[in-house]
Amino acid sequence: MRLRSIGVVGAGTMGQGIVQTAAVNGIDVVFKEISREHLETARRAIETALDREIDRWAITPSEKKAHLSRITGTESYDDLRHTDVIIEAVEDLWDRKSEVIHDLDLIIPDERVIVTTSSTLSVSELARETRRPDKIIGMHFLRPVPKRALVEVVRGFHTSDDTYAVARRFAEALGKTAVEIHEYPGFVTTRVILPLLAEAMQTVMEGVATVEDVDRAMKLGFDFPAGPFQIADQMGLDDVLNSMEHLFQELGDPKFRPPAILRRLVRAGHLGVKTRQGFFSYNEFGEKTGGAIGGDVK
Amino acid sequence: MKILVLNCGSSSVKFQLIETSLELIEQRADRLIAKGSVEKIGSSHAIVTFDVPGRERHRETPEILEHRVAIERVARLLCDPEHGVIGDPKEIDGVGHRVVHGGEKFANSTLINDRVLHEMKECIELAPLHNPANIRGYTVARQIFPDIPHVAVFDTAFHQTMPPHSYLYALPRVIHRRHGVRRYGFHGTSHRYCAYRIEKITGVDREELRIITAHLGNGCSACAIDHGKSLDTTMGFTPLEGLIMGTRSGDIDPAAVLHVIAKEELRLSEANTLLNKHSGLLGISGISNDMRELQTAAAKGNEDAQLAIDMFCYRLKKYIGAYAAAMGGVDHLVFTGGIGENSALIRERSVDGLAFMGLEIDPARNADPEARGERQISTATSRAKIWVIPTDEELVIARDTVRCIVGVIPPPPA
Repeated sequence: MRLRSIGVVGAGTMGQGIVQTAAVNGIDVVFKEISREHLETARRAIETALDREIDRWAITPSEKKAHLSRITGTESYDDLRHTDVIIEAVEDLWDRKSEVIHDLDLIIPDERVIVTTSSTLSVSELARETRRPDKIIGMHFLRPVPKRALVEVVRGFHTSDDTYAVARRFAEALGKTAVEIHEYPGFVTTRVILPLLAEAMQTVMEGVATVEDVDRAMKLGFDFPAGPFQIADQMGLDDVLNSMEHLFQELGDPKFRPPAILRRLVRAGHLGVKTRQGFFSYNEFGEKTGGAIGGDVK
Repeated sequence: MKILVLNCGSSSVKFQLIETSLELIEQRADRLIAKGSVEKIGSSHAIVTFDVPGRERHRETPEILEHRVAIERVARLLCDPEHGVIGDPKEIDGVGHRVVHGGEKFANSTLINDRVLHEMKECIELAPLHNPANIRGYTVARQIFPDIPHVAVFDTAFHQTMPPHSYLYALPRVIHRRHGVRRYGFHGTSHRYCAYRIEKITGVDREELRIITAHLGNGCSACAIDHGKSLDTTMGFTPLEGLIMGTRSGDIDPAAVLHVIAKEELRLSEANTLLNKHSGLLGISGISNDMRELQTAAAKGNEDAQLAIDMFCYRLKKYIGAYAAAMGGVDHLVFTGGIGENSALIRERSVDGLAFMGLEIDPARNADPEARGERQISTATSRAKIWVIPTDEELVIARDTVRCIVGVIPPPPA
């Protein structure tokens, strides 16, 4: 079956990215937010992102119009009932996600698959909040969603093969490559990248090299498209911190212990690309504009 | 014979039902029975149009989610008691499919059997945007019309006569062997049709003629047809090379592209869109990809529009000169396609100054607002003749389908 439409709950950065990617790939999207203001903000952000794509020659103005025509906002869960797959992209907190999954389970027809985008919570535990644990699955997108070719498809304990097949088809319809993950904290990408980020921060804190030079070394030395500090800024430093704390707690391994430099930046509200200031400074399009922060944050 | 011609895109199906046969082809008496299209396949409001000569257009907007439903709809419309033109699908004698890329495997149209289908699939790599939809259209149409012959007509086939010195790029030969990178050329059915018409109109065997055809539409290409065979054509590995087009750059130094990719930090897909959708007449003028709008703007003094027109004509003129050189002269120059058939200005500007090589356009004939259809627009004394010939690719597909069915074009190996 061809995937025609999806429902998205929550249109923060992650939700917007999914909405945009789906629309660009010819899929009709209904997205739900809690108020008209939130809907409007999300829609404007998507328009800006598409304008940016035009500036980068990636699409034409008429394609932008066609993409936007596939996107509908709503404040009601009812409007998601007729979509082929539902994906929740609300804040990655147990109370929020479990509540949304629970509500969706009551409203969405029984045969539909519900996808969670959580990068830290357990798919199996979320599934227990529903009457259809076999139809709950995780999809971990990397940011920025429209640009990253990967999605980790996360099978919970109860997830059926059919549900996995739907999620895989969904990933392909979005133009992404899926890797199959059996639920475990951090999946693959988060688990493998975090120790690298922590070690990079530790290296700077020990005065071995500057932020800029660590990034330069890793880019040129290993052909990384971006250095570890830029990667951290793109991921969002608050999310990096949360993930590290989460994995430190879950796995008890000190390699996930958050470095002090990270805590300081997060406390200062410097969260990376999304606040335009992290280890580096950025413009509204997420492009690096300035040099790295100085040694004083050590 | 009644031949259904299908042109399946990724989200559209265009179709024509044409009455034709060897006799009718000879008498030019083949006839359009009906035509139409299904657009926006995959949406709940697809757009179906159906035109029968002499009747009002029929239009509907049903939910059509896939090609199978679209082609079933076409079959039903053709037989519809109220809007249709035939009583039973069995009245259709054959289906002709437009297939964009035939790679190096197909130098002619062919009946489709399992082996041909397999080879068509092998060409997907060369035309990932077009061939899959063409093949999907065939697969579905075969199920709906299982008992009649299906024929594939390739955009690239006509150019398979090009010799290696014109179709190879000067890259390491291994690139051609590994990845099939070479000039294929497109618009083959249109160029072939124009050459065929010149032969018929002049009564001179094509083996005697050196013809340059300029297909100027959404996409633009020119072709050097030497003694009946495509010797060279402007489009290359993809339809991006050669002439300036509505939104495509045509020829450009590949190193310039690499430079822009590096400087603007573009992804391959972005660079691809830059060259295919943001360039050409649109990119230069900043106004439009539509030649009519550019001519209007230029007439009002818009310099960017004028520059786009100048560049378009200059590029074409260069190729006319090059192809005359390649053939040792030119006997006929043909303009076809939307711009080629309708823009007297573009025709005049493109051959301006080419009297030295025997091409003299007659300004009055060229600009005659009453003139329609096939016509000569060169002066009486012009050594080479200049023509406007409205192209008809669907007719070529229908005719080739008949030729394959009756065996004039030999069947493929089993």
